[in-house]
Amino acid sequence: MKRGKTNGSGPVRDLSYEVMGIHLENPFILAAGPSTDDAGMVRRAFSMGWAGAVLKTTSVEGTRVDLAYPMISSFDHDGKLLFGMGNIDLISAHHVERVEQTVRELKAEFPEKFLAASIMAGKKEDWQSLVARLENAGADMIECSFSCPQGNIGEDPGKMLAQSVAATELTARWVKEAAQRIPVSIKITPHVTDIVDVAKAVQRSGADALTAANSLQALMGIDIHSFVPEPPLGSRSTYSGLTGPAIKPLTLRTIAEICRSVSIPVLGTGGASSWHDAVEFMSVGARCVQFCTLVMHHGFRVIDDLRSGMSQYLDEMGFSSPLDIVGKALPHIAVHDDLPRRHVRSVIDESRCIGCEVCYVACRDGGHGAIDRRENRIPFVNPERCVGCGLCPLVCPEGCIALSEIS
Amino acid sequence: MKPDRTGVHEFDRRRALAEAERCLYCFDAPCTSACPVHIDIPGFIAMLRSGNGPGAAWLVRDANPLAETCGSICPSEIYCQASCTKAKQDTPVRIRELHQYATRSERGREFHPERSPRTEKTVGVLGAGPAGLGCAFELGKLGYQVDLYNDGPPGGVPLKSIPSFRLPEEDVVRDVGILARFFRTHDVRIDAAAFGAITGTHDAVFVAVGLGRDRVLGIPGEGLRGVYPVLEFLETAKKRPHALAIGSRVIVVGGGNVSLDAAATARSLGAADVMLLYRRAEEQMLVWPAELAAARRMGVEFSFRSFPLSIAGEDHVEGVMCRRTRAGKEIDDSGRPVPVEIPGSDFLLPADSVIVAIGQDLRADWLPRLDRTGRGHIGVDGNFRTSLAGVFAGGDAASGEGTVVRSLAHGIEAAKAIHAYLMRQS
Repeated sequence: MKRGKTNGSGPVRDLSYEVMGIHLENPFILAAGPSTDDAGMVRRAFSMGWAGAVLKTTSVEGTRVDLAYPMISSFDHDGKLLFGMGNIDLISAHHVERVEQTVRELKAEFPEKFLAASIMAGKKEDWQSLVARLENAGADMIECSFSCPQGNIGEDPGKMLAQSVAATELTARWVKEAAQRIPVSIKITPHVTDIVDVAKAVQRSGADALTAANSLQALMGIDIHSFVPEPPLGSRSTYSGLTGPAIKPLTLRTIAEICRSVSIPVLGTGGASSWHDAVEFMSVGARCVQFCTLVMHHGFRVIDDLRSGMSQYLDEMGFSSPLDIVGKALPHIAVHDDLPRRHVRSVIDESRCIGCEVCYVACRDGGHGAIDRRENRIPFVNPERCVGCGLCPLVCPEGCIALSEIS
Repeated sequence: MKPDRTGVHEFDRRRALAEAERCLYCFDAPCTSACPVHIDIPGFIAMLRSGNGPGAAWLVRDANPLAETCGSICPSEIYCQASCTKAKQDTPVRIRELHQYATRSERGREFHPERSPRTEKTVGVLGAGPAGLGCAFELGKLGYQVDLYNDGPPGGVPLKSIPSFRLPEEDVVRDVGILARFFRTHDVRIDAAAFGAITGTHDAVFVAVGLGRDRVLGIPGEGLRGVYPVLEFLETAKKRPHALAIGSRVIVVGGGNVSLDAAATARSLGAADVMLLYRRAEEQMLVWPAELAAARRMGVEFSFRSFPLSIAGEDHVEGVMCRRTRAGKEIDDSGRPVPVEIPGSDFLLPADSVIVAIGQDLRADWLPRLDRTGRGHIGVDGNFRTSLAGVFAGGDAASGEGTVVRSLAHGIEAAKAIHAYLMRQS
């Protein structure tokens, strides 16, 4: 393997490449969020090996950012904490002047790192002044939050900019106009009827990239005695933005759908929590992957495994750069009508079966009644009734059921 | 799960991932602090979880160059697992088995740690047990030219005397094979002349020769045929088991881990009745609970609170005359009550052989110039320096009997101390 530096975390090869003319040390970027709201935190992340960061979304002076606490809640599933994370956070309480300062400081100290600023505004002149000021401060890219699901700034409270195709295109033109030298990326929401329409509007506007996707609006849970939803603020609560592992499959679909329809680069974000997830995001077209919830849970140290795991993966696949992954899965995505019609059946490896009969009951009550019981508790598949739906392999705790093609 | 030869279960992938899921991924983790070589335990477990097996194996081996050996025998219940945060919720994460799984599943993958540019300075390392190997490897990584001197093949106690049902020889051989690229190995007998020559031709020397001399009981009959000092017994049992005729009734004297090894080995050689004689109570044994349980599983029996007065027999062992003890009021250095003899409690245990496993002393009559501790070990300071400039020491030779991983940690830390010393010299 091509050997780069070790970082106390195993051999890490050269993972660098370019996107939109910007050098990335590796595909792992911190998304706009609590971890990027403070120069000291970003400094620590950069020192530990993160390739870049999108600073938490800022706004023009005077913009009211009225935070409410507590703002974070958890969707625990099957004993796993934070399978999904909900937040009712808003944009940064730091206005543009402070963020300009952060950009200057960090770029002086880390000229090789990718540093983007995220912005949100209402009026044209505000959007454009934010772009100009942060570009002049030295930001490498401007990311425009068209999709903050909470307290959007605009005429239509509760509605996101990116939920209107026309408003998206218009606003994206404003920001693109204002950016002299650096690319702009529009961060969209998956909360639309047709994500392709929005993506195409962004492309038409001339914007350089899309950041996809974002948190999903969710109601995190209800206290069944007080009936106050999570997170409780006294006797009230509101909808949260859901992030974390729970939304990964939704983001994958969003990125795939966008990358099948437009040619501008997509920066992936929303639910990735390992190098493996990052590979999946890139395989449906993302050029890099942004992380937030993972870091909020386990800290910047997760970069060690992200880099090491990606290195091992590239070596195993014989890829020379992370860019080799980009789009690899797209040719394999088809509409349902075009799928091959195969004949498959479940096969149980009896030597490994431990006799829990979970497959039996799943098939009986949720499948085709194609698994029969036996005295010795080792079930068997009735080939007459099994259609190969694929349920039983998924419920087997030993992984001893496989689908096999029959001629 | 497939049972291995010690009766402990080895993880398969599914079991390993399920166990890895239990790790809390603590920050500044207590397990890592408790590990003598400070493996980044939450780090390698997180890599197992993410499917980054090569990264996990690398993290383990980078901190612990005897990764296979320690994966099999490290008494994790006294180190990492004793401080596992998860135990405050239910039971500790089975860290040793995850270490073993991470290491074994990447067997055959090359290991290329970072190596500093070569320097012209040379270091001689005496003894190729865990301390010597750890030191030689670490110094090799730091760019030094290292000569490792050992009487016989490298591997020390793990290779020579830890029973193969606990530690397969291949584990040690594999570890040594990976390390061997970092130093030159010389098979020599170490005596005063060799020591003089080695100190004269190297910029620094690390002495890690282990202990090597069995303590004797000093009772009548110890010279009879059928009485074995424990090291001689364990080494012969590994190398030439057919050369041992221990008969069917074996008595092992001593209450440490080595005596448990000897007793279990005697059972594995076919002895029907193996009795371990210990002058104190069971709870005062200086043993790892897992080893005691393993010895019991192998059918070893115990006679606590009894000690040998004499060994009976004409030419060959026929039995051991023993006496009972009770706990005295006096407390010794180790914090345990001193056993007191019970008059009139003598009894004869018939036996075909006796294994004496009451500890070892430093065998280093060729080291006269080095200051010794009160217990006869080589005296060192906190930086492993002996009384002789440029001569460092560690492992059992400096600290008495300890675990493999403790000696390995000595070797690694001593290498850093030697590096600091040589940097000051230039």
